[in-house]
Amino acid sequence: MSYLSHNKAPSKDAVRQLCADSFPSGAPESWRLAESTAGTLSVSAIEAKELIAALHTLSHHILFHNLTAPEQILVLFPKSFHPSLKILITKIMLEHSPTWRNEALSNQISLPHLVEMDWRVDMKTASDSVSRMAVPTCLVHMKVEDSSCLRGSGALSSVTVELSKETLDTMLDGLGRIRDQLSVVAGK
Amino acid sequence: MLQLQFTKDTLPDSVSNDFQNLNKFNEQQFTSLTEILFNFLLEPKEADRFLHQLSEFAGENGMSAGPLRNLMKSLLLLPHGSLKKNLTEDQVKEDLLTLGVSEDKADHFSQQWSLHYPVLSRLAVGQTLMVNQLVDMEWKFGVTVGTSELQKVGNTFLQLKLVIRKGNSTENVYMELTLPQFYNFLHEMERAKASMDCFS
Repeated sequence: MSYLSHNKAPSKDAVRQLCADSFPSGAPESWRLAESTAGTLSVSAIEAKELIAALHTLSHHILFHNLTAPEQILVLFPKSFHPSLKILITKIMLEHSPTWRNEALSNQISLPHLVEMDWRVDMKTASDSVSRMAVPTCLVHMKVEDSSCLRGSGALSSVTVELSKETLDTMLDGLGRIRDQLSVVAGK
Repeated sequence: MLQLQFTKDTLPDSVSNDFQNLNKFNEQQFTSLTEILFNFLLEPKEADRFLHQLSEFAGENGMSAGPLRNLMKSLLLLPHGSLKKNLTEDQVKEDLLTLGVSEDKADHFSQQWSLHYPVLSRLAVGQTLMVNQLVDMEWKFGVTVGTSELQKVGNTFLQLKLVIRKGNSTENVYMELTLPQFYNFLHEMERAKASMDCFS
């Protein structure tokens, strides 16, 4: 991190960009990022890589412990660190924190997420076992994120389910119970 | 050529003969046979029980089981066809009379038909094709306490497991919903139910 303070006047924007670029989980390993950073800051690629790794560790540490006050972050820097650079980096980190937190929340491991859902109600009028009938039935179509793919890669798997009236009633009973339990928990 | 309501096909002679042979049974025997028949119709999976009861009947009444089974097979054509065509008690009686069955036997059978019809038709509807039928739904909800990225979190999540019948086997589908998604899902299902209720 001392490399930053050694550097000859990197612009505020460059620092801001660097903080953002070093956050994603692949950043410390990316040679491409290291090389472009080396170019911007006029340091060697190796030094740039170490810088990115340091910023990455810092941003993730702040995120993990949910540090929200500047004082909490300022103490993390070594004592000899350039003061205004310290403040600048702290400010940038705090600015990005909410976005990063939301990103981390939406990227956490979970079961496949429900993405979309629609339904339709049909009327069965005949079948091979009964030539005249009038039985309503419900079809529900759900699009679920495919768990074997990377999050956000857009691969969705689709499932269509048929429910009779009794099944739908039973399902609504179950969902109603969930809602009641949720409101008990929320009320606490 | 017999004009029958329960089937449009021409019945083979053996079947017509079987119906006429019903007249050989006395009232008590016919009542027992009818009972055995409807028991089977109401629980179609109990084929073994059906055959067993027929063998017993054959033994008790001094007849061989084989011809009796064939007779019952023919007799079964009537309720199966009538169910498919939604025939009324009168129509079933008419068909029996057309087939040469005596008046009081035709009466008795059609009355039993009318008695059991609601359950039988519900069974038939239940056997109607369903695609990817939802068989079971399990759920759990909880709170995420922390992750590798965030030490302290407090998000509620809901996990659903849907068990779907695909052919002869079942498939499990797992998914997770956020709270807003859950409320939306509940709302949509309530709308679906309201729509179904309009039709019944």
